Amino acid sequence: MVNWANLVSQMFNGLVLGALLALISSGLTIIYGTLGVLNLAHGAMFMVGGYAGYVGYSYTESFVAAVLCGSLFVLLAGVVMERVIIRHFYSRPDEDQILVTFGLGICFVEIIRFFFGSLSRSMPSPPWASGITSLGFMFYPTYRLAVVGIVAVALLALYLVLYRTRLGMIVRAGIEDSVMVDSLGINVYRIFMIVFGIGAMAAGFAGIVNLPVAPITPDIGDAILVQTFVVIVIGGVGSFPGAVLGGLIAGEILSITSMINPGYSYAMLFIVMTIVLVARPHGLLGSQGRN
Amino acid sequence: MKKDIQGFAVSRRALLQTAAGLAGGAILPAGMVVPALAEDHPALGTYPAGSSGSSVFVGISVPRTGTYAAQGEDLIKGYELAIDHLNAGHELMTKISPNIKKGVLGKQVKHGIADSEAKPNTAVQNFSKFISQDKAVVITGSVSSAEAVAMNKTADREKVIYLPGISGSNDTTGKDCVRYSFRECFYAETAARAIVPVLIKNLGKNKKVAFLTPDYTYGHTVRESVENHMKEGGWTTVTNQISPLGTTDFSSYLLNVANSGADVVVNINFGRDAVLSTKQAQQFGILSKMTLTLPYNTPFLAKEVGAENMQGVIAATDYWWTMEDKYPLAKLFNEAFRAKHKSNPEWGACCGYLQLAMWADAVERAKSFYPPDVIKAYEAGAKVQSMVGEVQFRAADHQLIRPVVITRGKKPGSMKNPEDFYEVLDIVEGGPLMQAPDAFGCKLGSYT
Amino acid sequence: MMSTPSSKPGSSGPSIWVRMRWLPDVITLAVLVAAPFILPRFGFVPDTMSRILVLGLFGIGFDLLFGYTGLHSFGQSAFFGTGGFVAAYLLTRMGFPSVVAALVIGMLVAAVVGYIVGLIALRRTGIYFAMITVAIAEVFFFVENSPLAAFTGGENGLPGVPAPIFNFGFKSIAIGSGWTMYGFLAACYLIGIVIARRIVHSPVGHILVAIRDNPLRAAALGHNVHGYKLLVFVIAAAYAGLAGGLLGVMQGYMPPDAFTFDTSGQLVMQTVIGGLGTLFGPLVGAAVWLYLRDFLQDTVGLGASWKLALGVIFVLLVCFLRRGIIGGLKDLIDLSFGRKTVVAEPDEAASGLTAEQEQKAAKAEVIAEAAVAPMPPRHRALDGYSGPILQATGISKRYGGLMANSDIDFTVQHGELRGVIGPNGAGKSTFFKMLTCEIPPTSGKIIFEGHDITGKNVTDVCQLGLTKSYQVNQLFSRLTVRENVTIAVLAELRGKFRLDVLRNAETFPGVSDQVNHTLAMVNLTARADALVSSLAYGEKRRLEIGLALANSPSLLLLDEPLAGMSPRERIETVKLLKSISQGRTMIIIDHDMDALFELAGRITVLQEGRVLVEGTPEEIKSNPKVQEAYLGGVLES
Repeated sequence: MVNWANLVSQMFNGLVLGALLALISSGLTIIYGTLGVLNLAHGAMFMVGGYAGYVGYSYTESFVAAVLCGSLFVLLAGVVMERVIIRHFYSRPDEDQILVTFGLGICFVEIIRFFFGSLSRSMPSPPWASGITSLGFMFYPTYRLAVVGIVAVALLALYLVLYRTRLGMIVRAGIEDSVMVDSLGINVYRIFMIVFGIGAMAAGFAGIVNLPVAPITPDIGDAILVQTFVVIVIGGVGSFPGAVLGGLIAGEILSITSMINPGYSYAMLFIVMTIVLVARPHGLLGSQGRN
Repeated sequence: MKKDIQGFAVSRRALLQTAAGLAGGAILPAGMVVPALAEDHPALGTYPAGSSGSSVFVGISVPRTGTYAAQGEDLIKGYELAIDHLNAGHELMTKISPNIKKGVLGKQVKHGIADSEAKPNTAVQNFSKFISQDKAVVITGSVSSAEAVAMNKTADREKVIYLPGISGSNDTTGKDCVRYSFRECFYAETAARAIVPVLIKNLGKNKKVAFLTPDYTYGHTVRESVENHMKEGGWTTVTNQISPLGTTDFSSYLLNVANSGADVVVNINFGRDAVLSTKQAQQFGILSKMTLTLPYNTPFLAKEVGAENMQGVIAATDYWWTMEDKYPLAKLFNEAFRAKHKSNPEWGACCGYLQLAMWADAVERAKSFYPPDVIKAYEAGAKVQSMVGEVQFRAADHQLIRPVVITRGKKPGSMKNPEDFYEVLDIVEGGPLMQAPDAFGCKLGSYT
Repeated sequence: MMSTPSSKPGSSGPSIWVRMRWLPDVITLAVLVAAPFILPRFGFVPDTMSRILVLGLFGIGFDLLFGYTGLHSFGQSAFFGTGGFVAAYLLTRMGFPSVVAALVIGMLVAAVVGYIVGLIALRRTGIYFAMITVAIAEVFFFVENSPLAAFTGGENGLPGVPAPIFNFGFKSIAIGSGWTMYGFLAACYLIGIVIARRIVHSPVGHILVAIRDNPLRAAALGHNVHGYKLLVFVIAAAYAGLAGGLLGVMQGYMPPDAFTFDTSGQLVMQTVIGGLGTLFGPLVGAAVWLYLRDFLQDTVGLGASWKLALGVIFVLLVCFLRRGIIGGLKDLIDLSFGRKTVVAEPDEAASGLTAEQEQKAAKAEVIAEAAVAPMPPRHRALDGYSGPILQATGISKRYGGLMANSDIDFTVQHGELRGVIGPNGAGKSTFFKMLTCEIPPTSGKIIFEGHDITGKNVTDVCQLGLTKSYQVNQLFSRLTVRENVTIAVLAELRGKFRLDVLRNAETFPGVSDQVNHTLAMVNLTARADALVSSLAYGEKRRLEIGLALANSPSLLLLDEPLAGMSPRERIETVKLLKSISQGRTMIIIDHDMDALFELAGRITVLQEGRVLVEGTPEEIKSNPKVQEAYLGGVLES
């Protein structure tokens, strides 16, 4: 006996969960696709964005200021990280890149813990998106609806940058063949820096936008990172549309599994990820180009 | 050569024992154990190495990083305050038990703190380090029951006394009880038995219940305890939402709860999980339609979640600072704590302080650091005064018989100061709440 | 990274060398015995030292997997936990009498689980592989925590794991905590490291390193790469499972966090800190980690920030001391003993001579060189087969809408030296790739020595005697020249997969001779112990040919062997090609017409994916169609 009201509300919630994952994952996938670096510090970027936004909010009491603060700080952090450290690793073997981003992720977490302690921090939702909305078939927190909207706008902006600007074209070309792009005389390193910054910013933006939904602690990035892996694998590593699709699918997996057996929802993500990796490693929308 | 010394010791021992026996029978007050003589006991655990100098070492292992770090820090504050007071001979200690004087058996107390990261394995590592490196005479601290149970077993193996900090599972003094461990705080069974009648009284009979259960044995045992006792009021379970530890988004579980038609939501999550689930429950409008209750409260929950979300929430806890109005020792404790930290203690700090105070008392009564003597002193069932009234240990399972405090969240408007989150609804007598000593399979091991 | 000194020709007999081979094992034993007397002065207690040994053992398997074979697994905790819990369960819940037997069973179960997981995970490489390992580890943790909680004790773990008691009839030694436990674990570690070192020096060990460096070439040389990867994965799982069991025995308690991602992550960090690819790295790394953990918390008073300090140290190490502490020490030792890495020879082209002068010099050298005995091919033809050595019919390859090759018929007789030419984009390389079965043809059939090899894989084809020298050098750049050739030779002498993990590669019968012979044939004997990265371009090309030659192929394909060479190098290479063609069939693609016309007996011309014409060099030279294809018009000759 299926509780239809519950099913519909779960499927809707899955979209909301998925939207946020989609945004975070698109950042990771763009970075990997362009630079070939699997950024294991990506979850930490999400977390840092949340904290930076929190600091912004505590000085200004403004949601918009918080979002700007969070995003710009992480953009800066990403750019600095690429310039100072990651850049020196392009010629080094893959495993070194993974190791250094892994180490950096831990450092970020501990630095934040040093400054902010381990108690969680939160931010109230902005007044224009507070309370609960009736959607007919269910009641839903208004702010989460707003999150879908905000994330959709961010994804759209990312899409426009990737597909409608010269920078984006270079990035997409670089995803296909960075050596070629380099030999065309385009300053690949500058592109890499910008892309890393933008990718990190996507995560940081998501971090601050999510703050009213879930208070943050320094460790929150770890779970996010693993979920992001699942998303980009399902959608296709290096593919921006893949990240969006993968995110939505992951959100649905979480929600619907929780209806059947709540304890298994996260495990189900990993099972699906393993199946995809074995059966169709380049995911639903990825191409076999980059390895 | 060895023979001579042994021979000498035997005769000396026989002499002294007779004398002590005479003395013991005649003049010692009830609850005092016949003092054993230090020189005669074989080495056991860190005895006598740990207590042969002018100081003794207390090993503290709590999470300082990870999801339970905030509760860990609170415990540390309680422990450190207790150690300061012991070394200074503070009057609060004396009020808890007149046996406690300056130092413990005249020795200064030193301590060390290690981060357990809330991981049982790291806790065990810390334990081993404290006993092998520092010759600790007692180890204390935990926030999760997994840590506590792991350290219980290690204590029993290594023959060094262990005092859990925060540990809510029935198992710690149930099937995983050990001779070498004594638990002070309240736990699932007493929490459930205390809170359910209050809930039924305040909310009525025949209610439908939705559970938010964290997916580990602690969570499942609390749920079972609550379910068992709520049947008396005709309460039924309509859904049990199990979430993995560390869940960041409870929306799918909360939606299921919202759609379940429940009247009461029992949130068994602890630590950060409790914070997140409560906040998000509010976002989903659950708090306005259903009554939230927390059978095992998390320290600092109200501070992190915010008073608006906690209003009307009925919770069971170990200690709440406003009890100082009724309990003079609570007042003394709070004052000392406030003087040092400029804020009020949560129940972790109270638990930590009391554990070390009661340990000092047991050692003083045993007149020795020899573990079996200290354990017997504990088991003698002496009563001590505490921040929650008079308490004593139950010998059969080493659980402290102590009350459970039921609180209800205040409306933000009625708060008299920024930390005045709860009103104390009831302080339920501990004894009747506890299960029969062997009901959970407790089999204490041997003394040596 | 190879740590054995390669046997130099003419070295004094095996006795000294055998002694040297055992030296690290003896040193390890000495260190393990001495440690309890030295380390306590620095604040190490027996428990910590025991823990270091367990982590070190865990890391040995991981180092074989990651350091030697290059498989970055972030999921070793799955096997650590499996082995540990199986052993603990047997000992606590089922009252198994023998601790050692339970440990062995735990290890075997972990190995079996490793096999199954490896079948899934190893289907992919690189970051996909890493991500699968993460996912699988998470699933294992979940299963351990929830559905199987009744067996594993859930988040409480399994307490009460007993320590072993050894009965020797006249005396029994009960292992307690403290130094007896240390002794037991030290013995386990010593056994583990001795076995691991033998693995590293075995043919399998050499092949694993080759796989890390260039898996494509390792497969093309005739090794069953997937099989070897699976083998090392299982070995790593076994080490992990044993270490897990030992952890439970050591603590008297099997913790659930054995299964967490954190355990895998810490293993990675410790191994990197100690040094990847050294086998002892994990031990050193664990010692540093555990020491610093306590040191930073207590002595330095960092309290909760100890992890930050460790994280920073880790990042700095990855950035600057990539090979970890042991690697750094090795470099230091090399530096202080004045051993420098061989400097690259200057490129011939930069020597300042004119082309003509170089040609003269080369010709003079050519005459002066001593003749090297030819290396006849090993015949692997189908019994009774007497047809052409290679017969390809109707070969086509389609990529989406593009026909790279259309309907090519191509037959080569035994002993021929066939040239293949054609303008760029003619599909020559693609055709070669289909012959070696690197890619399957869309349609058509290939018969080699009577075997139908259509759609087979490159490893099997190589084992049958068809090899290729690549257009772009596919060498094992982190190895020496000799080691490169050894890899190829091992495939020929052992077949595509053999489980000989415990025998020594250097003493494998026939290896030395064949390696030396191959080196002599490509004139690299003088550079045998140089690292590939220090070779000049011409030398690298010769090595490239040498690799294809090493397993005595009966049909050798050469894809643009003369590409990018100076005139002098060209002459040398042509001479080389002539010498190796004796008794063997060769097909050469190149753009150097002069060389090909000199070498080849017949030439096939490809254009736009089809065969344009085939004939003797004279016929081709004067064929107007060929001239048009290359130049767009007929040239006045």
